Amino acid sequence: MNQLLQVGVIGDYDPKLRFHISTNEALLNAAETLSVSVDTSWIPTESLASGLIGKTLKQFDALWCAPGSPYKSIDGALRGIQFAREQGWPFIGT
Amino acid sequence: MLGIRDAEHEETAPDAPTLFISKLVCSLVGKIQTIKIVPGSHAYQAYGQEEVTEQFFCNYGLNPAFRNKIGKEQLKITGVDLDGEVRIVELSDHRFYVATLFLPQIFSRPGSPHPLIVAYLKAALAFQTSRRDSGIKM
Repeated sequence: MNQLLQVGVIGDYDPKLRFHISTNEALLNAAETLSVSVDTSWIPTESLASGLIGKTLKQFDALWCAPGSPYKSIDGALRGIQFAREQGWPFIGT
Repeated sequence: MLGIRDAEHEETAPDAPTLFISKLVCSLVGKIQTIKIVPGSHAYQAYGQEEVTEQFFCNYGLNPAFRNKIGKEQLKITGVDLDGEVRIVELSDHRFYVATLFLPQIFSRPGSPHPLIVAYLKAALAFQTSRRDSGIKM
Protein backbone atom coordinates (compact mmCIF):
# COMPACT_ATOMS: atom_id res chain seq x y z
CA MET A 1 0.00 0.00 0.00
CA ASN A 2 1.33 3.36 -1.00
CA GLN A 3 1.54 5.98 1.73
CA LEU A 4 0.32 9.41 0.64
CA LEU A 5 2.08 12.55 1.80
CA GLN A 6 0.49 15.97 1.72
CA VAL A 7 3.04 18.69 1.11
CA GLY A 8 2.06 22.34 1.38
CA VAL A 9 4.21 24.78 -0.59
CA ILE A 10 3.94 28.30 0.76
CA GLY A 11 4.11 30.49 -2.30
CA ASP A 12 2.22 31.98 -5.20
CA TYR A 13 2.46 29.40 -7.93
CA ASP A 14 3.49 30.70 -11.32
CA PRO A 15 3.69 28.15 -14.13
CA LYS A 16 6.07 30.49 -15.95
CA LEU A 17 8.65 30.07 -13.21
CA ARG A 18 10.68 26.97 -13.92
CA PHE A 19 11.70 26.79 -10.27
CA HIS A 20 8.09 26.30 -9.33
CA ILE A 21 7.63 23.52 -11.82
CA SER A 22 10.89 21.91 -10.73
CA THR A 23 9.77 22.08 -7.10
CA ASN A 24 6.72 19.97 -7.91
CA GLU A 25 8.75 17.58 -10.02
CA ALA A 26 11.50 17.22 -7.44
CA LEU A 27 8.93 16.21 -4.84
CA LEU A 28 7.57 13.58 -7.22
CA ASN A 29 11.09 12.27 -7.91
CA ALA A 30 11.85 11.94 -4.22
CA ALA A 31 8.52 10.34 -3.42
CA GLU A 32 8.99 7.77 -6.14
CA THR A 33 12.36 6.75 -4.72
CA LEU A 34 10.74 6.26 -1.33
CA SER A 35 7.83 4.33 -2.88
CA VAL A 36 5.29 6.77 -1.53
CA SER A 37 2.89 9.18 -3.20
CA VAL A 38 2.99 12.92 -2.74
CA ASP A 39 0.21 15.40 -3.22
CA THR A 40 1.65 18.92 -3.51
CA SER A 41 -0.57 21.91 -2.85
CA TRP A 42 0.50 25.50 -3.24
CA ILE A 43 -0.72 27.75 -0.45
CA PRO A 44 -1.20 31.34 -1.64
CA THR A 45 0.69 33.70 0.64
CA GLU A 46 -2.29 36.04 0.89
CA SER A 47 -4.34 33.23 2.42
CA LEU A 48 -1.88 33.09 5.32
CA ALA A 49 -1.67 36.82 5.90
CA SER A 50 -4.30 37.08 8.58
CA GLY A 51 -6.55 35.04 10.79
CA LEU A 52 -5.93 31.59 12.11
CA ILE A 53 -3.75 29.64 9.73
CA GLY A 54 -3.19 26.54 11.83
CA LYS A 55 -6.23 24.72 10.54
CA THR A 56 -5.07 25.16 6.95
CA LEU A 57 -1.46 24.24 7.59
CA LYS A 58 -2.16 21.25 9.82
CA GLN A 59 -3.60 19.39 6.86
CA PHE A 60 -0.08 19.00 5.54
CA ASP A 61 2.61 16.56 6.57
CA ALA A 62 5.34 18.99 5.62
CA LEU A 63 5.71 22.59 4.51
CA TRP A 64 7.99 24.15 1.90
CA CYS A 65 8.70 27.82 1.40
CA ALA A 66 9.01 28.25 -2.31
CA PRO A 67 11.51 30.24 -4.29
CA GLY A 68 10.07 33.08 -6.29
CA SER A 69 9.52 36.61 -5.20
CA PRO A 70 8.00 39.00 -4.74
CA TYR A 71 5.37 37.15 -2.77
CA LYS A 72 1.93 38.67 -2.88
CA SER A 73 2.04 38.71 0.88
CA ILE A 74 5.38 38.60 2.68
CA ASP A 75 3.50 38.55 5.97
CA GLY A 76 1.65 35.45 4.84
CA ALA A 77 4.87 33.69 3.93
CA LEU A 78 6.45 34.69 7.23
CA ARG A 79 3.49 33.47 9.24
CA GLY A 80 3.63 30.15 7.45
CA ILE A 81 7.35 29.79 8.14
CA GLN A 82 6.78 30.74 11.75
CA PHE A 83 4.09 28.07 12.10
CA ALA A 84 6.48 25.42 10.80
CA ARG A 85 9.16 26.56 13.19
CA GLU A 86 7.01 26.85 16.30
CA GLN A 87 4.75 23.86 15.75
CA GLY A 88 7.51 21.53 14.63
CA TRP A 89 6.32 20.85 11.10
CA PRO A 90 8.95 19.37 8.77
CA PHE A 91 10.11 22.33 6.74
CA ILE A 92 12.42 23.18 3.91
CA GLY A 93 13.09 26.66 2.58
CA THR A 94 14.89 27.01 -0.71
CA MET B 1 20.65 42.82 1.96
CA LEU B 2 17.15 44.02 2.50
CA GLY B 3 16.07 42.81 5.89
CA ILE B 4 12.44 42.51 6.77
CA ARG B 5 11.47 41.75 10.34
CA ASP B 6 8.74 39.22 10.65
CA ALA B 7 5.65 40.11 12.61
CA GLU B 8 5.81 39.21 16.27
CA HIS B 9 3.18 36.73 17.25
CA GLU B 10 1.15 37.82 20.29
CA GLU B 11 1.94 34.64 22.13
CA THR B 12 5.64 34.84 21.41
CA ALA B 13 7.71 35.54 24.47
CA PRO B 14 9.77 38.71 24.20
CA ASP B 15 13.00 36.81 24.00
CA ALA B 16 11.80 34.14 21.62
CA PRO B 17 13.87 33.80 18.49
CA THR B 18 12.70 35.69 15.48
CA LEU B 19 13.97 34.97 12.05
CA PHE B 20 14.82 37.82 9.82
CA ILE B 21 13.75 37.22 6.29
CA SER B 22 16.04 38.65 3.73
CA LYS B 23 15.62 39.05 0.08
CA LEU B 24 19.13 38.38 -1.04
CA VAL B 25 20.80 40.39 -3.69
CA CYS B 26 23.84 38.53 -4.79
CA SER B 27 25.84 37.80 -7.83
CA LEU B 28 25.41 34.06 -7.65
CA VAL B 29 22.65 33.71 -10.19
CA GLY B 30 23.24 30.52 -12.14
CA LYS B 31 26.49 29.86 -10.36
CA ILE B 32 27.48 26.38 -9.26
CA GLN B 33 29.36 26.10 -5.97
CA THR B 34 30.96 23.51 -3.77
CA ILE B 35 29.32 23.38 -0.37
CA LYS B 36 30.91 21.88 2.70
CA ILE B 37 28.41 20.16 4.98
CA VAL B 38 28.72 20.01 8.75
CA PRO B 39 28.82 16.44 10.07
CA GLY B 40 25.98 15.53 12.38
CA SER B 41 23.51 17.91 10.77
CA HIS B 42 20.30 17.00 8.97
CA ALA B 43 22.01 18.12 5.80
CA TYR B 44 24.86 15.69 6.42
CA GLN B 45 22.43 12.92 7.18
CA ALA B 46 20.72 13.65 3.87
CA TYR B 47 23.78 13.99 1.67
CA GLY B 48 25.95 11.38 3.37
CA GLN B 49 29.06 13.31 2.45
CA GLU B 50 30.93 16.46 3.40
CA GLU B 51 31.25 18.11 0.01
CA VAL B 52 28.45 18.62 -2.47
CA THR B 53 27.76 20.76 -5.50
CA GLU B 54 24.71 23.00 -5.82
CA GLN B 55 23.39 25.71 -8.10
CA PHE B 56 22.22 29.16 -7.02
CA PHE B 57 19.57 31.53 -8.18
CA CYS B 58 19.77 33.96 -5.32
CA ASN B 59 17.54 36.67 -6.61
CA TYR B 60 14.67 34.34 -6.00
CA GLY B 61 13.19 33.48 -2.76
CA LEU B 62 12.50 34.51 0.71
CA ASN B 63 15.23 32.85 2.63
CA PRO B 64 15.34 32.62 6.40
CA ALA B 65 18.45 34.41 7.55
CA PHE B 66 19.65 34.67 11.07
CA ARG B 67 20.48 37.35 13.49
CA ASN B 68 23.53 37.17 15.67
CA LYS B 69 21.76 37.70 18.93
CA ILE B 70 19.68 34.62 18.84
CA GLY B 71 20.32 31.50 20.60
CA LYS B 72 23.11 30.18 18.55
CA GLU B 73 21.87 27.03 20.17
CA GLN B 74 18.85 27.30 17.96
CA LEU B 75 19.99 28.22 14.49
CA LYS B 76 22.91 26.27 13.18
CA ILE B 77 24.99 26.90 10.11
CA THR B 78 25.31 23.51 8.48
CA GLY B 79 26.63 24.29 5.02
CA VAL B 80 29.17 26.84 3.80
CA ASP B 81 30.89 27.49 0.52
CA LEU B 82 34.65 27.35 0.13
CA ASP B 83 34.91 30.97 1.32
CA GLY B 84 32.95 30.18 4.45
CA GLU B 85 29.78 31.96 3.33
CA VAL B 86 26.58 30.53 4.78
CA ARG B 87 24.70 28.31 2.38
CA ILE B 88 22.57 26.05 4.62
CA VAL B 89 21.02 26.72 8.03
CA GLU B 90 19.03 24.42 10.27
CA LEU B 91 17.14 24.70 13.51
CA SER B 92 18.35 22.41 16.24
CA ASP B 93 15.60 21.06 18.45
CA HIS B 94 13.34 20.56 15.48
CA ARG B 95 12.55 17.34 13.69
CA PHE B 96 13.51 18.79 10.30
CA TYR B 97 13.88 22.48 9.55
CA VAL B 98 16.38 23.29 6.81
CA ALA B 99 16.86 26.37 4.67
CA THR B 100 19.21 26.62 1.71
CA LEU B 101 20.39 29.45 -0.44
CA PHE B 102 20.61 27.19 -3.46
CA LEU B 103 17.79 25.34 -5.19
CA PRO B 104 18.08 21.60 -4.63
CA GLN B 105 15.10 21.02 -6.90
CA ILE B 106 17.16 22.14 -9.90
CA PHE B 107 19.34 19.06 -9.69
CA SER B 108 16.52 16.59 -9.20
CA ARG B 109 15.75 14.07 -11.94
CA PRO B 110 13.43 11.09 -12.19
CA GLY B 111 15.34 8.19 -10.69
CA SER B 112 17.86 10.60 -9.22
CA PRO B 113 16.09 12.72 -6.64
CA HIS B 114 17.88 15.30 -4.54
CA PRO B 115 19.01 13.84 -1.18
CA LEU B 116 17.79 16.83 0.83
CA ILE B 117 14.32 16.45 -0.61
CA VAL B 118 14.34 12.72 0.08
CA ALA B 119 15.36 13.43 3.69
CA TYR B 120 12.61 16.05 3.92
CA LEU B 121 9.97 13.55 2.75
CA LYS B 122 11.32 10.92 5.14
CA ALA B 123 10.81 13.42 7.95
CA ALA B 124 7.31 14.07 6.67
CA LEU B 125 6.55 10.34 6.68
CA ALA B 126 7.78 9.95 10.25
CA PHE B 127 5.79 12.99 11.29
CA GLN B 128 2.63 11.69 9.63
CA THR B 129 3.04 8.35 11.38
CA SER B 130 3.62 9.93 14.78
CA ARG B 131 0.55 12.12 14.44
CA ARG B 132 -1.58 9.17 13.37
CA ASP B 133 -0.26 7.06 16.22
CA SER B 134 -1.10 9.80 18.70
CA GLY B 135 -4.60 9.84 17.35
CA ILE B 136 -4.32 13.44 16.32
CA LYS B 137 -7.19 14.46 14.12
CA MET B 138 -5.80 15.46 10.72
